[in-house]
Amino acid sequence: MSANIYEGGTAGLPQFRGGASKTAERPVSRRTDAERLARAKDVILREVDGAHATYLETCIRCGMCAEACHFYRATGEAKWTPIYKVQPLKRLYQRELGPMRWLHRLVTKDVTLKDLEDWQELVYDGCTECGRCDLMCPMGIQISPMIGIMRRALAEADLLPKELAAVAEEQKRDGTVFGVGRADILALVQQLAAKGIAVPVDKERATVVLLTSAVDLKGFQGSLEASARILNRMGVDWTLLSHSIELLGTGESLRELNVRRLVDEVTRRDAAVLILPECGHAYPALRFDSAHMLGEPVPFEVYSAAEYFGKAVQEGRLKLRKGAGEKVTYHDPCKVGRHGGVFDEPRAAIKALGLELKEMESHARTNYCCGGGGGQFLIERAKPLRQRAFEIKMREVDDTGAQAVLTGCNSCRINYLNGGANANWKTPVRSLVEVMAANLE
Amino acid sequence: MNLLEFARGPAFNFALIVFVFGVVWRLAGLFLQWRRRDLSKPRQHNLIVAGTRAMLMRSLPPHELEKHIVFQHMSGYAWHIAWFISLLFFAPHLPFFKQFLGFAWPALPNWISLGAGAVALALLLTLVIRRATNPVLKQISTWDDYISVVLTILPLATGFLAYGRLLPIRYETLLALHLLSICALLVWYPFGKLMHLFLTFPSRFQAGALLGRKGVEA
Ligand code: SF4
Ligand code: SF4
Repeated sequence: MSANIYEGGTAGLPQFRGGASKTAERPVSRRTDAERLARAKDVILREVDGAHATYLETCIRCGMCAEACHFYRATGEAKWTPIYKVQPLKRLYQRELGPMRWLHRLVTKDVTLKDLEDWQELVYDGCTECGRCDLMCPMGIQISPMIGIMRRALAEADLLPKELAAVAEEQKRDGTVFGVGRADILALVQQLAAKGIAVPVDKERATVVLLTSAVDLKGFQGSLEASARILNRMGVDWTLLSHSIELLGTGESLRELNVRRLVDEVTRRDAAVLILPECGHAYPALRFDSAHMLGEPVPFEVYSAAEYFGKAVQEGRLKLRKGAGEKVTYHDPCKVGRHGGVFDEPRAAIKALGLELKEMESHARTNYCCGGGGGQFLIERAKPLRQRAFEIKMREVDDTGAQAVLTGCNSCRINYLNGGANANWKTPVRSLVEVMAANLE
Repeated sequence: MNLLEFARGPAFNFALIVFVFGVVWRLAGLFLQWRRRDLSKPRQHNLIVAGTRAMLMRSLPPHELEKHIVFQHMSGYAWHIAWFISLLFFAPHLPFFKQFLGFAWPALPNWISLGAGAVALALLLTLVIRRATNPVLKQISTWDDYISVVLTILPLATGFLAYGRLLPIRYETLLALHLLSICALLVWYPFGKLMHLFLTFPSRFQAGALLGRKGVEA
């Protein structure tokens, strides 16, 4: 019997843009240059702590991290060297925070707004915060979290690329992302009800709370349907939140606000479990970073959808029909895998589906990014770079001989589908959760 | 006081004071900085084990990563090992350690320690040329890299000059230059990248604990 690994998914991909029509082509800052620079510096000086300092002081500038980064490997261009992407942060640290600051103030150039403008391309177009470089460095230096600080600093200096600025603006102004919001969730729930799939929405109390995402609503509505069908089959007491899709925001304050709101919603329902949709960026934000934002760990368990359902399979709470041993490969979404530690549960589900897992050469913690994570997939000018990076992925998939790629993140799926379409690459890319839902026993 | 006496006496003492004070200053300045407490629920609970494992295992990245860095990686470890063999096991150095530390250890045959010194010198010269020409390294290099490598090469170079009496000047002067090159290395030590000798393991430990919390092997 086939495990339906080829069916479903999105035929024509919608455009993922923020409320671009309402946004100027180039976001114009209302702040003075001095204010913008001060705001960016403030983020860096506030966020860099002793752990980052140890990393910055330990770098021997060996350049090995370049060889881990898909953007460098795909192009050979030195500017994509991971540690180079945090150079302004390092200079500011050396001049203002480091133990040798009295020396560096004499010999190290101060950071200017022009530097930050020049680094916009490096940290947004040329980094997906995938964290692969963090595994390469012989000194153990964790570069991607520092690139994250650079990104937040640039956002505070009104230096978000225009597509990301448009999403942030739309989110702040309308409470929607890519033009979708609560009304779209409710409409989808009605459609599912018409198909006989019950979706309890905003119940006052529930053991399990499920979220959906703007990416799912816009492009992968099958994801919510799949999660609902599995939860119903498992007989779980669950609810879908209709006004807390994972609006995590691009700027620090918006991100924190959204996390706080979401944690309140889940806590208020006394839920033991929050299941995040098949979405990468929400996962580390809620699973690990939220505790820092809130000053205490969240009082519930956070799972990604593929992790939760994979765990249910491991524990025997979910039974799947075995397929005919089709060869598949699994793409570990960086934010769920390398940044989240979810490796075994999706693989347990693949095994239970009777599929033959053919691992890519770089898989699990060394997995290559799809090329468009961290919001990079929205940046139009970065399309050629993204495509070059995706070609690495395509080669690794092809080398496995797999008939399909399964994954647990719909943003990754967008990149596969776009990159594949550009290269006339035919390998299907499916959501693991959707394949599970299609094969419930 | 001749040059050799100056090198052995005031110059060496000064270098040692700068070295010790500088290293303590830099380490204290670093370790006393505030650190964010990670309050998230760890996936793996024994973070000390995760950190210690990373300290030991980071020298061996997974195959998918290692295959692109074989030369840089191996040459880096090779010159460090060769440099320290020539420092610690070259017979003429051991009386110095005996005098300075009060104890010493057996020397290796000269052909081994001199051979190690030659390997270290050749690799360091290759690596500095590579640094100056490879686009990635050129882009990220600073004055610290060049000062540090020159000061690491000088003790080897002056050591060979003195041992082989390769310059038409007095042996004592050559020896003094060798000692002064070591003084320069000690003085520079706390200011630049050479400090990684003290920082590599703390940095790796942090990485191991951070990734271990997420259930990811560092
Ligand atoms: S691999 Fe590590 S030590 Fe080497 S340049 Fe990159 S961050 Fe620095
Ligand atoms: S996080 Fe990923 S994309 Fe960013 S520099 Fe590191 S390897 Fe490259």
